[in-house]
Amino acid sequence: MNPQKKIRRLWNGITFLAVVALLITACTPAATPTAAPAEEIGLNFVVWSYSIETIQDNIAKFESQTPGVKVNLSDFSWNDYHDTLATRFTGGTPTEVAYSSDHWLQEWVAAGWIVPLDEHFPEVKEFAKEFAPYSVQGMTANGHIYGLPYYSDMVVFMYNADLAEKAGITKAPETWEELTEQALKIKEAGGSESPVYIPLKKDDPWTVEIFYSMVYSRGGKMFDENNNPVFNQPGSEAEKTLQWLHDAIFTSEIMDQSVLEVSEPDVVKTMGAGQQVYTVLAKYNLAELNLGQHEQAGNFKLALMPGETHSTVGFVRFYALTKDAVAKGQQALDAAWKFLQYFGGKTDGEFKVVKRWALEKGLGFAQLPLYDDTEVAEAINKWGDVNLEREQAKVARVKEGLTPWWGAWDIYARGQIHDAVLGTITPQEALKNMADKWEELKGQ
Amino acid sequence: MSAPSVISPSQQSRIKLGRRAPNLYAWATILPVLILVAAFTLYPFGFAASMGVRKYILTQPNVHPFVGLRNFEQVIGDELFSVSARNTLTFTLLSVPLVTLLGLSVALLLNNRLRGFGVLRALVLLPWAIPLVSAGIIWKLILHGQFGSLSGLLYQFGLIEQYIPWLSNANLAMLSVVFAHLWREFPLPVILFLAGLQNIPPELYDAAKVDGAGAWARFRWVTLPLLRAPLLVVVIYETMIGVAVFDMVYVLTGGGPGSATTLISWFAYTATFKFLNLGHGAALSFIIAIALALLIIVYLRVLPRQEAAI
Repeated sequence: MNPQKKIRRLWNGITFLAVVALLITACTPAATPTAAPAEEIGLNFVVWSYSIETIQDNIAKFESQTPGVKVNLSDFSWNDYHDTLATRFTGGTPTEVAYSSDHWLQEWVAAGWIVPLDEHFPEVKEFAKEFAPYSVQGMTANGHIYGLPYYSDMVVFMYNADLAEKAGITKAPETWEELTEQALKIKEAGGSESPVYIPLKKDDPWTVEIFYSMVYSRGGKMFDENNNPVFNQPGSEAEKTLQWLHDAIFTSEIMDQSVLEVSEPDVVKTMGAGQQVYTVLAKYNLAELNLGQHEQAGNFKLALMPGETHSTVGFVRFYALTKDAVAKGQQALDAAWKFLQYFGGKTDGEFKVVKRWALEKGLGFAQLPLYDDTEVAEAINKWGDVNLEREQAKVARVKEGLTPWWGAWDIYARGQIHDAVLGTITPQEALKNMADKWEELKGQ
Repeated sequence: MSAPSVISPSQQSRIKLGRRAPNLYAWATILPVLILVAAFTLYPFGFAASMGVRKYILTQPNVHPFVGLRNFEQVIGDELFSVSARNTLTFTLLSVPLVTLLGLSVALLLNNRLRGFGVLRALVLLPWAIPLVSAGIIWKLILHGQFGSLSGLLYQFGLIEQYIPWLSNANLAMLSVVFAHLWREFPLPVILFLAGLQNIPPELYDAAKVDGAGAWARFRWVTLPLLRAPLLVVVIYETMIGVAVFDMVYVLTGGGPGSATTLISWFAYTATFKFLNLGHGAALSFIIAIALALLIIVYLRVLPRQEAAI
C-alpha cells in the first residue's frame, strides 16, 4: 500500500477513536460529587515599604492558623503611598485591606474607598476602649471607627547626649530658644557644624506632622474646634515656628539647609554617624538610633518636646477595610476581619503582631495595656525611657483640622513652609496663603 | 447617440465589487489597529476632555456637574500656574540650548576616526541605558546636600568649605535638575548629529580646504548648513521634552524646595494625584497638550522645507 494512504488511514482511525471517546465521555452520567475542598479566600493587602520581611512572616503565621485565607502582599514607598493608593482605588485594582493614616482618613472616607469597620464588626468598639485617645480620634470619621492600629506613635525630640555632654550640656533644652543656645555652644565647641537636623522634605508626609508638633509644643493651635484656621493669626505659634526654622538655617546657622531635602532615613544615618546632635522624628527612630549599626548607637536620649507645653502630635497608622472587601461578599469580609484582628487586635487574648512590632522595631502602640507588659517596658528601656514616653504621651494630641480636604491642604502647606523657611516669602505671608488655600479647598 | 453598452448589469455589479474589494480588504486589515488606537488614544482623550469641563473631585464621588471652562479658569488663575509656567520656561530655555550644544560638540568629537572612539560612542549611550528613575536616584545621591559625592569631591580638593545644598537652594535646585536632565538627554542629539555628520561628503571639506577655509570656516559654512535637518529635529524635540518633563523633577526634588522646581507637568500631577482634582488635572493636561501641539505644527511646517533644501 502507498505509504501516504497508510498514514491517511491511520490518521482517520485516530480521529474516529477520539470522537468515540468524546461521545462516551459526554454520555456517561456524572460521578457522585465528592466533598469539594473549601474555597480559598484571597485578600489583597497593601502596605508602605517598611520591614517587609516582618510583615511576610506575620502573614505566614496568620495563614497557618487561618486555613482557607491567602494574603497577597503589595508594598509601595511611603512617599508615593497616597498617590499609588488613589490610583489603585480609582482604577479598581482589588485591595481588600490597606495601611492608612490619620492624614488621609477623611479623604478616603469621602471618596468612598474605605468602609466603617464598626458597621460591619461592632465589637471593634470594645477593642477601641483600650486604645490611646489620639489613636481612636485618628481612626474615627463621622462617628465611625475605620480601622485597627498598625502602630501609633508620637513625634518626639531626641538628642545625642554624649555629643551634648562633650560641649558641657547636661540636660535637654526646655524651650526652642534654649535649643538654639545649646546648639550654638556645641557649634563653638566644634562638636558639629549644624547640630540641629529636623527633616522637612517637601514630598514627605512627615513634614507637616513635625511642623504641627513644633507648633503644639509652644502651646499653639493650628485650627479651632470648628476646623477654622488659627495658625494665621498675627504672632501665632505657627509664625514663631516658621521664623525659628528660618533663623536656625540662615541666622544662627545651627541647622543645615539640606533639611529641606531629607527625610527620616537620611536623618537617622547622619545622626547615627554623629554629624548632628538634635532632631525631631517619630519616636520609633530612637530604637533604630540606639540599637542599629551606627557609630553613635547607644548615645541617643528621648526628651520632652522643647516648648512651653511640651505637647506634640500623636498619630496613628492603621489597617483599613476597603469597599472591595465588602463588594467581594461575606466570606471575604469575614476573612478580612480575622486578618484585622490578628494584625491590629487581640489573638488568644494577646496583641501578638502589635507587641512584635514594639519589641523588634520599637514601634509605638495604641493599645495602652501593653505599657503594663514587663517585656515591652524592658524592651523600650533598652533604647528609650518608658516613663518619659508616657509623660510625653499625656500631652500628645491628634492633628487638628482633619477633614476631607486636609490631605490636599497638607501638600500645599508643605510648599509654603519651604518658601517661608527659605525666606522667599515671610512666615506671615506663608500662613496667610495656607489659610486662603484652606478656605478655597473647603469651598470646593 | 451613445453606443449601446455591451456589459450586462450583473457584470457591472461584479466590476464595482471588484473595485471596492481592495478598499474593503484595506479597511479589514487596519480595523484592529484602528480599534486599538481608538481604545487607547481617542477614548482616554475624550474622557479627559469630558473631565476637563466637569467638576471632578475624587472626594466628591458621583457629583460631576458640567462647569464649562471653569476648571481652565481656576488653574490659570492659581498662583502655582504662573510659577510653574515661569519655571517651565526657564527650564526649557536652559535645557534646550545646552542639550543641543553638548550633543553637537560630542558628535563632532566622536566623528573623528581615532582609536578608542568606537568604545566612546557606545559609552555615550550609557545615560540612555539607565532607567530614568535610577538615573534620578543616582543624581540625588551625587547632589545630596549632606552626603552628596559632588560636594564630597569638591570638599576633598579644598574647593569648598562646606557641602553645597544643590537640591535645597531654590536657584541651585533648578540648575541641578537641568544638569541631570542634560546628562540623561544628550545621547539622542549625539546620535542624530553623528548620523548627519557621516552623511556629509568628505569632498566638500577638501574643496573648502583648497579654498583656504580654516576649521571654524569649514564648520560654519559646510557642517552647520548640512546639519540643519538634525538640528531642527533636536531643537524641537528637546523643546517638547522640556515642556513636558516630569520624571527627573519627581525623583530629584518633588517640585521643591518650595515651588522652585515646580514645572507645569508637576503641577498637573499634583492637581490630579495629590489634590485628587481630576477636572483641574485634565484642564492642565490640555493646556500642556495645546502648547505641545503648537510646537508640533512648527515642526511639521519647518522641517520639510529644510529637508528639501538639503
